Order: sequence, then structure tokens, then C-alpha cells
Amino acid sequence: MNKQITIRILIDLLIVVSILNGWWFIALPLGLIGAWFFPYFVEIIVAGIGYDSLFGYGSVSGAWGYAGMIVSILLFAGIATAKRWVR
Amino acid sequence: MPTVQSSFQAKMTYLRTHNRPARTRTRIIVIACGILVVIGGAIRLWVPYLLPGIFNTIAVPFWRAEFSSASGSLDSPGAMLAQNEDLRRQLADAQVRLQTIQGIESENADLKALMGRASTTPYILGAVLSRPPFTAYDELIIDAGRDRGISSSSLVYAPGNVAIGRVTEVFADTSRVMLFSSPDETYQVLIGPSHIAALATGRGGGQYQAELSREAKVSEGDAVNSSGLNDRPFGVVTSVLSDPAQPFQTVLFAPPVNVYQLRWVLVDAKNIQESTAVVKEPAVKAKK
Repeated sequence: MNKQITIRILIDLLIVVSILNGWWFIALPLGLIGAWFFPYFVEIIVAGIGYDSLFGYGSVSGAWGYAGMIVSILLFAGIATAKRWVR
Repeated sequence: MPTVQSSFQAKMTYLRTHNRPARTRTRIIVIACGILVVIGGAIRLWVPYLLPGIFNTIAVPFWRAEFSSASGSLDSPGAMLAQNEDLRRQLADAQVRLQTIQGIESENADLKALMGRASTTPYILGAVLSRPPFTAYDELIIDAGRDRGISSSSLVYAPGNVAIGRVTEVFADTSRVMLFSSPDETYQVLIGPSHIAALATGRGGGQYQAELSREAKVSEGDAVNSSGLNDRPFGVVTSVLSDPAQPFQTVLFAPPVNVYQLRWVLVDAKNIQESTAVVKEPAVKAKK
């Protein structure tokens, strides 16, 4: 297996574990790293939706309930744009 | 030939690795993400518990495993058996303690009934909310007021039917009690085994004094009762001060209970007439 794919799967697993435990402060930097080093790192959007589903809009009212999804989309779009500028 | 080589190099340099150009691929991905978000929003709108249900179903086994690990469910059978044995022993101890507590509660209820503090008695039980030094000295705040039928000038008793004061102000759910030991408060009492009538004057701090003739035989430890049809304990003589140059002796006494450590008092609110009969109006002057 390609080394890049292995690292990507490892980061995905770490993000899943972080999301299941509600450790957004670990999932967020991992998402940043993944989005920067791997192309089309859509896992962060899934992670954001998953975080909201587990800890967000079911129990938190207002826009804060969708914070995971909003942040992940912004992250995805922002990193993609930044990569295009830098490279 | 140089022209052919140049053309070959140009082909190698711009050789496509994908069928679609990068810009088109990015556009497709962005559109796919947008569609994903729209689908997510629609699901959230029409089937609000679908996504949380799915993610919870995925997460619950992990959470359970984590909980089991943290709570020791994944320990060795030996450790779990030992823990089980320990818990059984603790449970047995707790059951014994519970039975003891139930016995004490029953005894407490019996004693309260015996002391006239049961809920069936005409007295109103009031908890002392505030006492000196948080209130003025010789003043209590109790948690019974107009809501419990208390009215001004109701007599207040400490456990054991010891008259300690009277209600001076009644609020919605609290009352202010002025103790008889307040300075300048007076109360008719009977001192000693001979029941010598005297006028007790408050000295503050739960202390009283009374002036008696020098011939009256009073000694420390004598009982002081409230004057009335039903003699009720009022105090215990703590000191007798006698000066040969004076025709009177001063008797100092204090209530048999520490009024500043009271947690509960009884208010005789239903029978004010009887109370006022016990406490003769001219003798008791509520402090304004």
C-alpha cells in the first residue's frame, strides 16, 4: 500500500477516535494537517457532521449546534484555496 | 530531427495523468461537497434524528467499551470476584446501618410526640433561620409566618416547653421572635421550691435577674417556672447575689436550654388567649 494512503488512513482513524470522544481540540489540528498534506481531504467534513450529530444540534441550540460542520467546510475550502496560492 | 525531439519533449512535459483537467476535478469535488451539505441539511430538516441515530449507533459500542474499561469490567475474573465480594460486604453493612437509622428515626418521632413536637400537636414547629450574631441579640428569625397561621404576640417555646420569647413581627413566611431575656423585657415567674413570685428582667444573652427579699430561701440550681395555671420550666438559678447592706437579693438565672443553639422552636399560635393568660399583659412589654 502506498505510504501516503497509510498515513491518511491513520490520520482518519485518529480523527474518528477524537470525534467519538468529543476531543475537537485534537480532531481540528489533525484535520488541518490532513487537509494540507492530502488532496481533497473530505473526511473533515464527515467528521464535522459526525461531531454535530453526536454532540451538536441534538443538545445544543442555535448555530453552535452546527459548529462542527461549518468549521470543517470552512477549513476544507480555506486550505484548498491556501494550497493553490502557495503552490 | 531536432524538431521531432522538441515535439517529444513537449509531449512528455505536459503528459496528462488524469482523464479530466485539474480545474474540472476541483469543480466536481466542490459541487459534490455542496450536494453533500445540501443533502445533510435536508435530512436534518425532514428526518432530524437520522444522522444522530447513525452516528450514535456507530459510537455507542466504543463508548461502552471505554466505560467498561474505566469501570473495571474488563478486569480479570479474580479481581472482579474480589470486588463483588467487597461490594456485597459493603451492602450488608449499609443494610445494617439503614435498619439502625430507621430505628433512630422511629425513636425520634416518638420522642417528638412525647415532647409535644409532633405534627399533631397544636404547636407550630418552626426552624430557627437566623440567630445572634447574625441578628440582633436576643432575637430569632423562624421560618413560620402568616402562611402557618402565626400571629403577633404568640408565645414561643424551646423543646421541653420552655417559654423563651414571643413573636413581635410576622411576615409572609417568617417571623421575628424577641426573647424574654432581652434587656428591659419582664416576665412573671415562680422561683424555687417555695414558688416565690418574682418579676424576671432580661439581662441580654439569654440571662435573667430577679429581685427577691433577703429572707427568701433560694439557692443555685433551683427551678424557675413560668407563672400561670400550667407551670412550665423557665430557667434554672445560676447565682444568688446577696449584699447584707441591701434588703434585697439578686437572683440570676438562665433558661435550661441554650437559646443560641436552638434549631427548632414551637409557636403556640392557635391559643393566644391561653398564652396571654400565662403571660400577664402588664408584665410583658414587647420591645418596639
